Amino acid sequence: MRKHLGSRKTRSVLSLLILAVGLSIVVSACGSSNKSSTTSGGGGGGGGSSTSSQAADVTKCGTKPGVKATGTPIKLGAIVTKQPGTDFTDGATMADAYFHCVNDNGGINGHPIQYKWYEEQTNPAQIAGFAHKLIQTDKVVGVVGGFSIIECAVDHKYWESLGIYELDAGIAPECWGTSNSAPPNMGPRYSSDGAVQGVVRAGAKKIAFDQSNVPGTGYIAAGPASVAKALNVPIQQFKDNVPIQDANSIALKLVQAAGSDGGVVLNFTPPEALKILQAAQQQNLQDRVKAWACSTPCNTDFVAKALGQQWDGKLLVNAELNVTDNNGPQTRLYRAVFDKYGSKVSGGLGSFSQMGFVMAQQTVMALESIKGGTYNIKTVNQAIKNLKGFKTDMLCKPWYYGQAPLHIPNNTDYTTTPHNGKMVIKDGCIPINAADPGIAQVRAIEKKDPSLSQPGTPVPGA
Amino acid sequence: MPSWEDFKPFIITGLALGGVYALSGVGMVVLYRATGVLNLAFGAVGAMGALIAWQLINHNGWAEGPAFAACVLFGGAVTLLYGVIFGPPLASRDPLIKATATLGLTLVLLGVMDLIWSDKARSMILPTSNHGFEVSNVFVNYTEVIAIAFALGVMAVTAVFLRFTKTGTAMRALANDREITATLGVPVRRVEAAAWLGSGLLSGAAGLLLSNLVGLDAATLTFLVISSLAATLIGRLRSITVTFIAAIVIGLVNALITPILSISQYRDMTPFVLATIALLVLSGRRGSALSGRAG
Repeated sequence: MRKHLGSRKTRSVLSLLILAVGLSIVVSACGSSNKSSTTSGGGGGGGGSSTSSQAADVTKCGTKPGVKATGTPIKLGAIVTKQPGTDFTDGATMADAYFHCVNDNGGINGHPIQYKWYEEQTNPAQIAGFAHKLIQTDKVVGVVGGFSIIECAVDHKYWESLGIYELDAGIAPECWGTSNSAPPNMGPRYSSDGAVQGVVRAGAKKIAFDQSNVPGTGYIAAGPASVAKALNVPIQQFKDNVPIQDANSIALKLVQAAGSDGGVVLNFTPPEALKILQAAQQQNLQDRVKAWACSTPCNTDFVAKALGQQWDGKLLVNAELNVTDNNGPQTRLYRAVFDKYGSKVSGGLGSFSQMGFVMAQQTVMALESIKGGTYNIKTVNQAIKNLKGFKTDMLCKPWYYGQAPLHIPNNTDYTTTPHNGKMVIKDGCIPINAADPGIAQVRAIEKKDPSLSQPGTPVPGA
Repeated sequence: MPSWEDFKPFIITGLALGGVYALSGVGMVVLYRATGVLNLAFGAVGAMGALIAWQLINHNGWAEGPAFAACVLFGGAVTLLYGVIFGPPLASRDPLIKATATLGLTLVLLGVMDLIWSDKARSMILPTSNHGFEVSNVFVNYTEVIAIAFALGVMAVTAVFLRFTKTGTAMRALANDREITATLGVPVRRVEAAAWLGSGLLSGAAGLLLSNLVGLDAATLTFLVISSLAATLIGRLRSITVTFIAAIVIGLVNALITPILSISQYRDMTPFVLATIALLVLSGRRGSALSGRAG
């Protein structure tokens, strides 16, 4: 009898262990609900919590201020990553906000933009399914404003086969290394290159580089390695699983690896980077190295505010886009659109939503260049491909698409640092080191056709 | 291989991490011993409590004290509500079914947190985190000390409560046989409600401490319970002391692996590897003992 009870208890406990292991696999494999959001022309939501210093006129979004677009919708779509530890939805929600603004002010020659995006959890089959759904079911004519970890890798051949020129931000190398994708950001690899340059400028003699353990880390790691080598600084690379549960040990590990005259460079999403930085702070480690740096995701006031003043001037963030409170016309419009239409932009003002805004503006600029009023896959994507000289105060130099085997149009960027709960510019536009082979290749393309990065037609709202 | 000097700081971080696991683990064992329910929503309840405290401080202008109290009370209220509504109908079901049912609450809370707060960077620094002392050149802040002391305190108080109080004795009787305990005149529902409330208050307090020690992130705090579960399984869901010790060992091993770069990235497996080894050893010993007794 006792034996029976004992084995039953053991079975129960073992069952619960299996349940726990299963749960942990589910946690790492899948995220929150797989939902999609659809928006069509019409009013946007309420206000966010903008810190705009000078209000801009949102009627500048379109060509007919105050006139709602009522024509046949132009359908656009995107695929974005949303899973525990990685939420890239701010790009799409901000693009959506801008499209709402455009629709409220005349649309594209009277046509409203109808925008739909799907949220994926780094599952290739799911992502491929969404791509087919966008084209076959939703009948989109352009794929713009997406921001995903692996979407470029999964779908680029499909887009190429359809003649779609994707306007996307991302992580996978294919976002920058293929003919049919051109992002407004430079991605984790080149942004990490910039962060490495930042800590070396701050005097670091050795670098500890850490990033989240997600697909594509080898590709990202190669960039900082080549730049560090060119700068004659040794680099030690790490990967850590996300969501991070033990940030204290990670912070300690990185500080030990960098040494007192070294620098720590992080390539994580804001919540994960914040955990490491706060752990460093709680262990008094922030002054134990020459400098701390982050790739672009940290360039958000959320991080600056959460870190507090102890990190003011101590954290260098490679910022692919300008700070959100600069007073250029595009940034003022971005803040105004966020205020009026950006209620779904949960991360607030920051790099991700800026990217969404830039991509939306690029899309509108391309759509407005189409003559004859026919908006199909062929005309829309030809117009997107023809974009060049796109000048905005959010980027260091004019952006372009063009016909090329790879696209890294954003290859010169800023360095920011926290100050009183906000990110401020520390260093102005500095080119990413061409020791990274991709950068060297794209500089050669720009040299061959200088018109690509020369300022062209003013963007909407300028 | 890192030197002893390299390992030393990780002992401190390991103890803090162990304290984190112990907090959740002990809280889950307390409830399991009283109701037979392994509450997998323990982390989610604490996470939501912490986010509510953050919201009250940063957006509603509350002082820290009342906001922290609201976090703890939220934990107690939600867990009590779940226990009162779903406890009795599930009382006679298999422990695995009861545990799985709490996943429902976990998913609901996760959904609500995602809807209200999304997955964005935010933090809540307790005043105790800004002060501390140095041990072997390693800074230890008072929140880490409180976490370990709190887990120890909970362990001691619970052991005394279960052994020497009337309600504690009733809880132990309930865990053994609900039907017989009811026939003896024990107010079963009231005792169970007390257990749910106590465990819930504990989850709120744990959420508050963990949001500071680990990070104010819904998913991380919710699923931290999985690592803590390994400690409770080593304690075979009965022994609070073994659960506490197991949690500390898991935290220590996890942290001490960190500087060993060749295996560092596999350290998240530590709780499950240790739980599996412990269960196999315990099963083997029990089997030998039983066969020896039979022979």
